[in-house]
Amino acid sequence: MSNKKYDIIVVGAGPAGACAAMSAASAGRRVLLLERKPVPGVPVRCGEGIGHQGMTLSFEPRPEWIKSTVTRARMFSPSGIGVEIGNVDKSYILDRERMDADLVRMAAEAGAEFRASSPVVWAEETSSNQYKVTCSNTPNNINTNNGTGTNNSADINNTDNTKTEFEAACLILADGVESRLARCFGWNTALRLADIETAAFARIETAGIEGDCCTFYTGSAVAPGGYLWVFPRGNGVANVGLGVIGSRCRAGLPKELLLDFIKRTYPEGRVTDLHCGGVPVAKWVRPLVRGGVMLVGDAARQVNAINGAGLAYSFYAGQLAGTVAAKAFRSDGGLRRKALSAYQREWAKVFGKQQERSFALKEFIMSADDAFLDKIADSLSKEPSGKVSYLRVFMRTFSSRPLLLFKAFKLFR
Amino acid sequence: MTVVDTDKCDECGTCISVCPGNALLIGNRLAVSPEKCTSCGLCIKVCPFGAISNVQQKI
Repeated sequence: MSNKKYDIIVVGAGPAGACAAMSAASAGRRVLLLERKPVPGVPVRCGEGIGHQGMTLSFEPRPEWIKSTVTRARMFSPSGIGVEIGNVDKSYILDRERMDADLVRMAAEAGAEFRASSPVVWAEETSSNQYKVTCSNTPNNINTNNGTGTNNSADINNTDNTKTEFEAACLILADGVESRLARCFGWNTALRLADIETAAFARIETAGIEGDCCTFYTGSAVAPGGYLWVFPRGNGVANVGLGVIGSRCRAGLPKELLLDFIKRTYPEGRVTDLHCGGVPVAKWVRPLVRGGVMLVGDAARQVNAINGAGLAYSFYAGQLAGTVAAKAFRSDGGLRRKALSAYQREWAKVFGKQQERSFALKEFIMSADDAFLDKIADSLSKEPSGKVSYLRVFMRTFSSRPLLLFKAFKLFR
Repeated sequence: MTVVDTDKCDECGTCISVCPGNALLIGNRLAVSPEKCTSCGLCIKVCPFGAISNVQQKI
């Protein structure tokens, strides 16, 4: 049986994957975009915030993607000292469900073939320098349910015998934080517990949400080794979510902490959605390219390790990987694998350093305790809000403990 | 034996990202491969919804 052949297969139709497929298809390549879920972007596992700069670097945002525009931020220290940051770059709270669907549509309009409900269960290199990708056609009977409500079998070969195979010269893996496929090609992508935030995301309807202000809460009682955010979505709706560092997590803790916070802070609030997810806070994966395989987005750990933001990086890396891959094809249709390394070079130049700095800062902040955060908040709270910027928060952090600056400097080298 | 409670599981894949043995599989549902699982417990610890646990195997 001959498999369906493409130039490039993109696995995962989140922002990174959709952007990669869009760019590669626009450049005239035959592209297949595979998504495990029936609808890409659903459920939303994201705070949905993005800075104006990070967004517009890749896209002019469509008005219907933007739920609200934020110009202020407020941070609460562990003991509850509030610091108003008036000097915030304009940021957007997005409608991810809408945007993710539009990005996939844009990829399809550019010529990419899109298949939903197509979980990839295996990928391998063939003897002819192609990649073979195996999709399950019956995603719901992967598990055998043993009748107790628990599953204990994951042996897909025994339970699933309808599969579809596809072939391509180039693979772009955008299969998220849970990327298993990278492991098929020799990457060890298992995260240390200190390098993952385990998160819970809620959407609530409540009074008392300021439409132009993001609020952050810190402290080990609220979110150990992470933070809690409240992002306004307009019309009395907010995204409330939190991340707990994996090394300080226990089973179910993020969900418990989030529901406790909502009950305490918004007793009248109604939770309309509750989901969970993991956010990598590691250094970006090296190498980004192996043979004809490229990693993008969360699968490549292209996430700001300080705040967990990954959208802007994903847009950029997706477009870059798609463009580089398309250009790497010769006129006879063969792939020059060596040309793919331009992707890593360009990423390293534009965002690689910045991402590594965020990782170094994360490592530093993880070593600080609640009392330290309280001290900084206390000194900042005495300044007029218009004067407080993120830079000032940063400077104050180090000026109050100069020794830490040396420690941090070591991390930055 | 490590098992996933599918009623609680949100299929987010956080467990997969920390599993050293690649023992968790997500199709449209998540499950543990008994052959690959070493019962290290990392997935249990990081699950945001507490959907994974160790159960005693009946003989």
